Parts: sequence; structure tokens; C-alpha cells
Amino acid sequence: MRDVVVAVLLTLGVATALLSCAGVLLMHDALDRLHFTAPASTLTPALFAAAVLVEEPLSSAGVKAVLVALVITITTPVLTHATARAARVRAHGRWKVESEELERVEDPR
Amino acid sequence: MNAWLIAATVLLAGLVPLLVVCVRHSALDTLVALELASTITTLALLLLAQGYRRDPFFDLALVSSVLSFAGALTFARFLERWV
Repeated sequence: MRDVVVAVLLTLGVATALLSCAGVLLMHDALDRLHFTAPASTLTPALFAAAVLVEEPLSSAGVKAVLVALVITITTPVLTHATARAARVRAHGRWKVESEELERVEDPR
Repeated sequence: MNAWLIAATVLLAGLVPLLVVCVRHSALDTLVALELASTITTLALLLLAQGYRRDPFFDLALVSSVLSFAGALTFARFLERWV
């Protein structure tokens, strides 16, 4: 039974990661691609850590797997923000939004 | 070969589309692909550690997760203006 649960968790984790990779390949620009890094950085580590915990509960391997999953889950949003910021600064030369940009968003004519 | 090693091998196949993005697209697209690739290699190290039943190998995955964050953040800062 335990082997079946581990196999299901691993399959789900690998499938999520592969779908993320396909998404990154198929999208058209960097900001679209950024969205597809999220499933592989949140769901996949959690599923793998859960699989390790199912196989070896209360072991140092389980604790380290949870720690790896936590580090990846916490740091990826920071990286995503930094990358999106880099994309905006490269495109517009600044990070701050100026008033005429806001007016254009509110009134797209 | 157990389920962990098979999962690690299949997971590493996900690096191929990311390599295609790195070769064919702009610097920012490449950075996004690099971020995802580092996450995937870290997770593959985790699966290999469990597959080979070696507890110290988990430290590799832990160190890789922290260092890949620092590396990608450095690239992002440089890509803002200077590269």
C-alpha cells in the first residue's frame, strides 16, 4: 500500500514538473513563461517531500526533504518577482509606474 | 532500479525543453528557463538521494536549492540594466 502511495505521489510530481517545462517552452514572452515556473516550484517539491515522508516517516531524510521543499517554495516567488522586475526595467528603463501609464490603463483609448 | 530513480530520470527529461528555450530565445526567457532548470535539478538530487538510500546526499539537494536561488537572483539583478 505504501509503495502505491509513493508511486502516485511521484507520478503526480513528475507530471506537474513536465507540464511546467512544456508551458515554459510554449509561451511567447518572458512574463508568460514566468507563470509556468510556479507549479514545478510549489506542487512538485510538496509532492516529493510527502512521498519521502510516506516512505520514511520521522527520519532525517524526511526532515531534509521537507526543508528542501520549504526553501524552494519560499525562494521561488522572490525570484519570480526579481525576474519580472528585471523585465520591466529592461523594457521601460524604470521600475516605478508613472501617472500617464496609469491613465492609459484606466482609459485604453 | 526503483521508483525514485525512474522518477529522477523522467524528471531530468524536462530539461530538454528548457535547453531549447535557452538556445532559441532572449536573455530574460533564458533566465526563466534557468530558474526552472535549477529547481528541477535540485528535485532530481532529492529523488536520487532517496533512490540510493544515502542520507548525506540530501544535503546536496539542500545546498543546491539555496545556491541556485542566489545565482538566479544575481542574474536577475544584472539583467535589469547591465547585461
